[in-house]
Amino acid sequence: MRFLFSLLALLIACQNVTAQLTLGNGHHVLEITGSLSTYYNHRVLKETSDNRNKDRFRLRDAQIQLEGRIKDVIEYELQVDFVDLSSLAGGAIDPENPGLMDAWVRYKGLRFVDVQVGYGKLFYSRSSLVPFTYSPYWQRAELLRGDVFGRRDIGVTLMKSFWKQRVNVYAGVYTGLAEVSLRGDNDASGQPEFVARIDFAYPARYRYREIDTRNTPVPMIALGFNGRYANKELPDGRSFPNFATGEYGVKVVNGERYVYGLDASFQFKGFSAQFEIHQMWGIPQRNNDALLHGYYTGRDDGFFVAGGYIVQANYFSKKLKTIISIRFEELDLNDLVPGNAQRLSGALAYQIKGFDSMIKFQYFNVLKEESINPYRWTEQFRLGWQFNFK
Amino acid sequence: MGAPFNDLRHFCKTPGAPQLVIIPLFALVIIMLLLSSTEKRPEKLKPIKSTHTQVPEPSDICMHPDKNTYIVVSDDGFLFEMDSVGKIIRKADYKGFDTEGVTVHEGKVYVIEEFTRKIRVFDLETFQLERTVSVPYGGGRNKAFESITFNRSRNCFIMLTEKDPIFLFELDKNLNLINEIDMENVASDISAATWHNGFLWLLSDEDMHVIKLDPTSYKVLNKWYVPIINPEGIAFDRNGRMVIVSDDMERLYFFKSPA
Repeated sequence: MRFLFSLLALLIACQNVTAQLTLGNGHHVLEITGSLSTYYNHRVLKETSDNRNKDRFRLRDAQIQLEGRIKDVIEYELQVDFVDLSSLAGGAIDPENPGLMDAWVRYKGLRFVDVQVGYGKLFYSRSSLVPFTYSPYWQRAELLRGDVFGRRDIGVTLMKSFWKQRVNVYAGVYTGLAEVSLRGDNDASGQPEFVARIDFAYPARYRYREIDTRNTPVPMIALGFNGRYANKELPDGRSFPNFATGEYGVKVVNGERYVYGLDASFQFKGFSAQFEIHQMWGIPQRNNDALLHGYYTGRDDGFFVAGGYIVQANYFSKKLKTIISIRFEELDLNDLVPGNAQRLSGALAYQIKGFDSMIKFQYFNVLKEESINPYRWTEQFRLGWQFNFK
Repeated sequence: MGAPFNDLRHFCKTPGAPQLVIIPLFALVIIMLLLSSTEKRPEKLKPIKSTHTQVPEPSDICMHPDKNTYIVVSDDGFLFEMDSVGKIIRKADYKGFDTEGVTVHEGKVYVIEEFTRKIRVFDLETFQLERTVSVPYGGGRNKAFESITFNRSRNCFIMLTEKDPIFLFELDKNLNLINEIDMENVASDISAATWHNGFLWLLSDEDMHVIKLDPTSYKVLNKWYVPIINPEGIAFDRNGRMVIVSDDMERLYFFKSPA
């Protein structure tokens, strides 16, 4: 109840927020922004499902973001979502909404490279890097939500742009425990994860956005290549911290784990499209690892493959202030288990005031399931309002 | 990986399923395309030529009043003089921060730093920084002053904020704020402003529009569409051609004067 009152107070306060969002003394400038979003979710459950929790209102976001700069040398960002913080309480962290979204400092004083330290989004996967507030959807694709590969982590990132920001290069080393790293636990392997990304855009730099709201007058493309590697072999009798392996148990592997990804994005005259494919190769340390599903038969086949892809197409009508989008996604959580999962989603978003005030509708349809990842529902409908104050 | 299109085919044969998703989406796309095609857009202007500029990430441009050269500022905080083919002639001994607007008036160069909310005043002849004036503005960090020019009709400087909201501020010759006008409905954003031929001209990056304003009432008189990625600066050269500079492309685009 206290939380609801706090939220109400926040909502009322937001009505009057029109100015004084930036504080500065000429050297140090701090900007305060935030967002609120809420939706109604209707689920069509399977006839066999006895879990009747199917229709609900949900407060998805209640975020405050502090972005600061000290001269042009240091940048920092702190972003918190109060909804997710209030629901953590020692349970699993939702990787798509982990509560603490960003807490990092970036040093730009070195000529040859910028250095970012702290907790934040990993530079891996274009779609993951698009801020959620710029999406017409209420949920990211299953492949990209953070249960197959971590989207945020604590560590150090080196970054550099070339050729008028058309080429961006990122490389970093992290705990490898993703969002669970916030709990401060180490894993007994003592090994980090290495992540790298390079993206290329033409004919001009391409921001991490998926909708062409500017009606770009010439065709623009962007390609990205991602890779990450961890060798986390646990000593006998030890295990990873709670929830570190994610909902599907593949986010961290007791052994070696390689993930590769390719992403492509296109925009022209209001049309835009994205394609992403990610492939994970896990080599568990032990032959009897559950991820091998009893298929280990010899030295050379002690591995499994997981991954998937998404295809998304969007159109933005400036006159109608409306985005329409359709997305197909496929996810194979383990190639040793027959089958894979497929989902089709459609989104419709009406912009009252750009992305800052937007009514969003998303439809999900489960086309196919993988036996190790069954759903309770066959369809979902989400309708809600996204509001950003800036 | 399976064969997604086989499964889609199966899905489409499932009674009721396609009606729910595919048909409404398809119909919506068709309706939106039809409506968009009938959208009345401003007249499109085509550049008559373009040239690369040596200035990295140029964010605004104005004509030198006495020569066939341009004064240009770059996003990373530098002030340049550039010739008509984009070659840098000189650079001020100055490193600012997030410079977004520039204009020349009575022998002085006025440069806006969006991030710090400061106006830097340089001597046009020597390119030396002479004074700095702070103009407080509490709006978004990167949504503050984006453009500056001198309004000869009302004998004052004007500065416009970029967006959320768009304000036009009038300043006296000593750079004191004297007036504020809400320009929210003029465009999605404003990236530059200039004076030419008795009118004020604005540039919108997001809309890719050039906007002609009555300099007294600030009413919109006309708009044109310019198909340029990230247009950030506008000026008119000595031949009356409109010059637009693109930040992302680092190019100068020349147009016949629209009016």
